[in-house]
Amino acid sequence: MVSSKVLLEGASGKRFLLLGNEAIARGVLEAGVGVVTTYPGTPASEIADSISAVAPDAGLYMEYSTNEIVAIETAAGAAMCGVRALASMKHVGLNVAADAFITLAYVGVRGGFTIITADDPYCYSSQNEQDNRYYALLANVPCLEPSNPQEAKEMVSYSMNISEKLELPCLFRTTTRVSHTRGPVVFGPLKQPKLKGNFVKDVKRFVMVPAHARIQHKALLEKMERAKKISEESLYNKIVRNGSGMGVISSGAAYNYAVEAIDFLDVDASVLKLGMTFPFPEQKIVKFMEKHDQIVIVEELEPYLEMQVRAIAKNYVPHVKIHGKTITKYFPRFGELSTRLVVEALAKIAGKALPVAIKEIDEKYTQVSESVPPRPPVLCPGCPHRASFYVIKTVTKNRAIYSTDIGCYALGIQPPLRIGDTLVCMGASIGTACGISKVIEEDVVAVVGDSTFFHAAIPGLINAVYNNHKVTLVVLDNLTTAMTGHQPHPGTGKTGMKTRARKILIEDVARACNVKYVKVVDPFKIKEAMKTLKEGLKTRGPSVIIFRQPCALLVSSEKRRKGEKIVPVKISEKCTNCRVCIEAFGCPALYVENDRVMVNEALCTGCMVCAAICPYDAIEAGGSLDE
Amino acid sequence: MSNCNVVLAGVGGQGILLAANVLGSAAAKEGFNVRVSEIHGMAQRGGAVVCHMRIGDRVHAPTTMEGEADVIVGLEPVEALRNIKFASSQTWVLLNIEAIIPSTVSLGTAAYPSLQTIMKMIRLFAGKIVTIDAADLARKAGSVIAQNTVMLGALVATKKLPMRLETIKNAIRELVPPKYVKMNLEALELGYGVLRNSDEKRRDELDK
Repeated sequence: MVSSKVLLEGASGKRFLLLGNEAIARGVLEAGVGVVTTYPGTPASEIADSISAVAPDAGLYMEYSTNEIVAIETAAGAAMCGVRALASMKHVGLNVAADAFITLAYVGVRGGFTIITADDPYCYSSQNEQDNRYYALLANVPCLEPSNPQEAKEMVSYSMNISEKLELPCLFRTTTRVSHTRGPVVFGPLKQPKLKGNFVKDVKRFVMVPAHARIQHKALLEKMERAKKISEESLYNKIVRNGSGMGVISSGAAYNYAVEAIDFLDVDASVLKLGMTFPFPEQKIVKFMEKHDQIVIVEELEPYLEMQVRAIAKNYVPHVKIHGKTITKYFPRFGELSTRLVVEALAKIAGKALPVAIKEIDEKYTQVSESVPPRPPVLCPGCPHRASFYVIKTVTKNRAIYSTDIGCYALGIQPPLRIGDTLVCMGASIGTACGISKVIEEDVVAVVGDSTFFHAAIPGLINAVYNNHKVTLVVLDNLTTAMTGHQPHPGTGKTGMKTRARKILIEDVARACNVKYVKVVDPFKIKEAMKTLKEGLKTRGPSVIIFRQPCALLVSSEKRRKGEKIVPVKISEKCTNCRVCIEAFGCPALYVENDRVMVNEALCTGCMVCAAICPYDAIEAGGSLDE
Repeated sequence: MSNCNVVLAGVGGQGILLAANVLGSAAAKEGFNVRVSEIHGMAQRGGAVVCHMRIGDRVHAPTTMEGEADVIVGLEPVEALRNIKFASSQTWVLLNIEAIIPSTVSLGTAAYPSLQTIMKMIRLFAGKIVTIDAADLARKAGSVIAQNTVMLGALVATKKLPMRLETIKNAIRELVPPKYVKMNLEALELGYGVLRNSDEKRRDELDK
């Protein structure tokens, strides 16, 4: 929300309020990065989006790659040529990119190369809450963990410098509460991006055939010995507080809760803050532990720091008591931490009484919480997915198995539509549908979004065709990457550099994959959409139906931009109060008041789908237009 | 200065992120250390949304601890109640009385409590509650969408924030699209006024 102008033109030495992700984008501009790649995903999206907004003016190249492995490979290619490169993605994106990521550690880079993974403790907008610090351990690359927007900005240059010194990619791990926290950030000077490099051939280094890989593995281990020294000396691994009681070791977002909890309880504690968490600053930690009888490790998700601290302690300071997630189990291994959780843990460890207020609040809250109706996220009013799901459900008589995928349309599992029996990861709708259709009799309908189709569904579709799985793939094509903030994808004709590109049509791809039945239909034309889906289900072998209608949010903002009025529907006297529009369709713009169906005119987009499905023709265009 | 913690609760689409950003920017402009927490992605789609805005030299965490909020700004009644854990007897709750019915209620799987019930429950936690008809005031300012700014105006009038009204106006001028600035500044004033007036009214009642 900070204007892109500020990111590019904000003067060095000035202070601005930035989202963690925007701060990273400024860090990219201050580090002279030449190539930025991404596939959007919460909580990482705004890093690349902010870069996209300024890339042409800043003189760097940015792209929305087809998926995360392509993003990492593209950025790595530039880094091999000596250009600084950065690839950003959400935590699960790194799973997609892992094949390249792990071998790239062997290959190394010439220009600085930073891979940003934005983890999502508590799964605010994700299918799992994996702890990607383990990827640094697995691949054997340095890991950096900022704890606030200022650090996040600074660490971009820092990671680039380390990467160039070691000729290794660096993993840069944020979490939702770093990426999506706003804080003051002091700007540094911009660095002119270096866009052109040169590829110096070196087969033994860049071609990972077994004979070369064996050698490069050893070279990697040697590089990481040098990385240990960097970690020991890193200013980001520092004692920020000296006390005489317990010693607290923390990193990332968890550090913020740790220091506030210490203040809140007024505990006498030293704090060692770790910003570079792989390789571990072993000697620094030994020295810290030697000064304390008790060590408390405050970290989110897995006991990643804790296991390393325990291993070190066993060798050097076996008498020190260590508290964390294992053995004494003071902290949970799931969800996100909070000041409160750390307060409770530290109070127990320090033998301090808990401030009673928290318990009292809990007790009172259990009384009221039952009265608070749940408010789950829902598909927006006017969302074309709602129409598509209504069609799918009606045609299949709710008797099919529906495998769904990653995107807004995952919200189709909510009542009343309830479309979605499996959801695993990007592209899994079609893959799982292949297996399900092989072993059951019912129809199997796989549902995938347009961006997800390009990202991960094409190999699954080819599999369905070639191995003849009786699956109907419905592509919900809303012409954007909606959930993450409307980024372009290969079907949109737009690029991250704000240039035009020739659209790749999903129907062309499906036909090229030898799918015999491929149809494109507008889900707002309910009858036609139903007929098409019925035909698709009847074909032997896989069929692809593309429900194409732009995202409602895009349509309304376009209308607002053009000054066009949005005309809400109105309910006529023909309404019999059957409530199909609410109980079967479930648009949030329709509600019941005094036992009658009403229209929330501020929400209605006038898509007219409710009018099309009303059995009594009681919904018409043209509600009031005031305001 | 001791910390200032504000919790803004409402529904995706009500402009909570913008309101929190206005507050945070104003705080940063005046040189305060500030943190604003945001929620993006799936949760935004018409779901319950909560933002925390925290100011103070010792503030590190983006979120407020239970019982530590100075003000809870409820852009929607049950959303204020959902986040009432952050309140204590020292806390003010500013309550927009305009309800937004959740899908669970429309579909009959949950019930929406009456405003009286909500207020009764809020009083179990919070020291002070001020009801505001933000939709009505927003309409007076030009559009019902300005309810978030009306509530910001009321928040400024609590005098719990360390920033000046003028700094908040400047943040609005910077962050709101130019054609909506005038309307939002008017909404801010109306929100500011309602709290001041209600205080005066209360004093009058006490005098009687």
